[in-house]
Amino acid sequence: MNGITIRGLSKDYHLGKTVVRALRAIDLEIKSGSFACVAGPSGSGKTTLLNMIGLIDAPTAGSVRIAGQDIQTLSEQARTRYRSRTLGFIFQSFNLLPVLDVFENIHLPLILHSELAREEKRERVMELVRAVGLEDHVRHKPYELSGGQRQRVAIARALVTHPRIVLADEPTANLDSVTGNEVLDLMERINAERGTTFIFSSHDPGIMRRAKRVIRLHDGEVEAA
Amino acid sequence: MRERFQLCLRNLARHAWRTRIILLIALFGAFLTFLSENLLEDVSRKQSDMFGRAFAGHFRVLAKGIETKNTFGFYHYEPEEMLEPDEISSIKTYLAGVPEVSGAQERIIFSGLVYGVDDAEKGFQGIAMDMGSYDKELRDLYYARGSAVRPGEAQACAATWHEYEKNKNVEVGRQYVFLMPNREGEFVDRFVTVKGGIDYRTMPRDIIGMGSMFFDLDGFRSLVGYSKPLASEVVGFLKDARTANRVLPCIDSYLRENHPRLKVVSWREYAPIFAEIVLGFDVMMRTVEAILIAICVLLVIKLTTFSIIERYSEIGTMRALGFGRADIALQFALEGFLIIAAGALAGFLLAAGVICVLHLTGIHNTLTFFAWVIGDGFSPGFYADKVVSVTLIFLAVAVLAPLLPALQGSRLSILRTLEKR
Repeated sequence: MNGITIRGLSKDYHLGKTVVRALRAIDLEIKSGSFACVAGPSGSGKTTLLNMIGLIDAPTAGSVRIAGQDIQTLSEQARTRYRSRTLGFIFQSFNLLPVLDVFENIHLPLILHSELAREEKRERVMELVRAVGLEDHVRHKPYELSGGQRQRVAIARALVTHPRIVLADEPTANLDSVTGNEVLDLMERINAERGTTFIFSSHDPGIMRRAKRVIRLHDGEVEAA
Repeated sequence: MRERFQLCLRNLARHAWRTRIILLIALFGAFLTFLSENLLEDVSRKQSDMFGRAFAGHFRVLAKGIETKNTFGFYHYEPEEMLEPDEISSIKTYLAGVPEVSGAQERIIFSGLVYGVDDAEKGFQGIAMDMGSYDKELRDLYYARGSAVRPGEAQACAATWHEYEKNKNVEVGRQYVFLMPNREGEFVDRFVTVKGGIDYRTMPRDIIGMGSMFFDLDGFRSLVGYSKPLASEVVGFLKDARTANRVLPCIDSYLRENHPRLKVVSWREYAPIFAEIVLGFDVMMRTVEAILIAICVLLVIKLTTFSIIERYSEIGTMRALGFGRADIALQFALEGFLIIAAGALAGFLLAAGVICVLHLTGIHNTLTFFAWVIGDGFSPGFYADKVVSVTLIFLAVAVLAPLLPALQGSRLSILRTLEKR
């Protein structure tokens, strides 16, 4: 299978003597090309689930398989390579590098792709700049952009390596509803055009409605998928 | 690499104050290290010159029975301990074939009495030597009232401390009665006319005491009445004082074989205070260098750590985007390297400029003891091995100092760094 298979995924956090069970033996299948929203109230385990899929955190138990590969068994080097080649990340706070302009921020992950020619990299970046509608801001620094524009830069940065899966943790949480919907439009369009799998988290019902599939979490368990 | 390099420059520009601090400390450290290492090399090489110009010379060949320790070269000896002409000639011929030796000359150490204006007796110590064959430029040192003593001038210099104390000057043309030792160990009294003198105003009196120079060895011999050209010692000069440990044992071995009644002694034995001054100077400069380099290293470690703490979120973002630990470590290490390398390069260029200027102008320092010792117009230069060693030290600092915090930064968990926003 080309998608994501999650089996018995659990994550416990130890806060002093207290054990917080962030995820409790989750089983999930997410098909390739999905446009899925992980929904749930704060503390339900949305971010933890995305972190497990994105190899940012390690589970206490269970496995995550992407295209049949158990990603937890990968070496540190292979995990890094996996993040670079297969995954794309969009963060709630955009996480753009303040010293780089729009072009350079989008280009950043391509530094690791030495197999690509300089011109090819430039074309990829410019294609995405056009796709997210920031042609006029290509040399602007993040502080010169609005929240929506910054998130569009972050989306472009996530897509520039042509990842199979894009993970977005509350991508619209710091945006007003109009801008949030614009960002969702963009993600939807790319999902449709490129077949990129999008898994994003949100607790906003309006955003949830836009997803083709909603995975509801509550207290670390899948309530509905 | 070009892209990483650009990213480094952007980050350095962002933390401008931090960049400037590291740049300045690297600049200052490199400047002082470069300058002092080359100057120390100069001083080390010129120790022979320095002490040759003074009164001690660098090593002396003399009779084994003479006690020279702490005498500053003004030792007591018996007349039979003087060197015979064939011994002098043999030693000078041998020393001429030693590549590390720059020159040699025979001298007579003497002591006696001088009668001042009111017939007050004053003891004095002196050296009689041939200025004409002296391989060091002494003319700039021995003068009275500003006029240099010309080579070959008989009875040229006989300044006495009490004369200077009384008149605050050396009185040229004045006649003294000198009592000089003859071959039989007796004193002969002779009139000596002062034709020049050491300008004692340039010398601290507690260091120099009273002394006399007699710049006409043959004149001295005939004045005293020697039947043969005797000398109390042969003084030799090394091109580089640091070769003493290697060269002196060879000379000693030659003497044991050919002149068993003679020995060779280093200036370190008869003037240990000068060895201590040189050692103290070396230790002081090297300590300052070490402190500066240590400050530079600690500051770079501290400021790189600050930089990492400030950029936690960036580290997390970059790791999430696929940058590995090595990439993060390289990023911070490269930033540290660039800034230290830039600062050190500026420091080297500045120091090189200062050395060039000093080389052209010379170090004029006529009012201090060192000016008398080193001479006026001391011109420092560059030494390839010092340039290479200082460059390697700063290269090592630039590579190693930011490496520790960079490696620590690269080992941070992605989750923790992303949460630190």
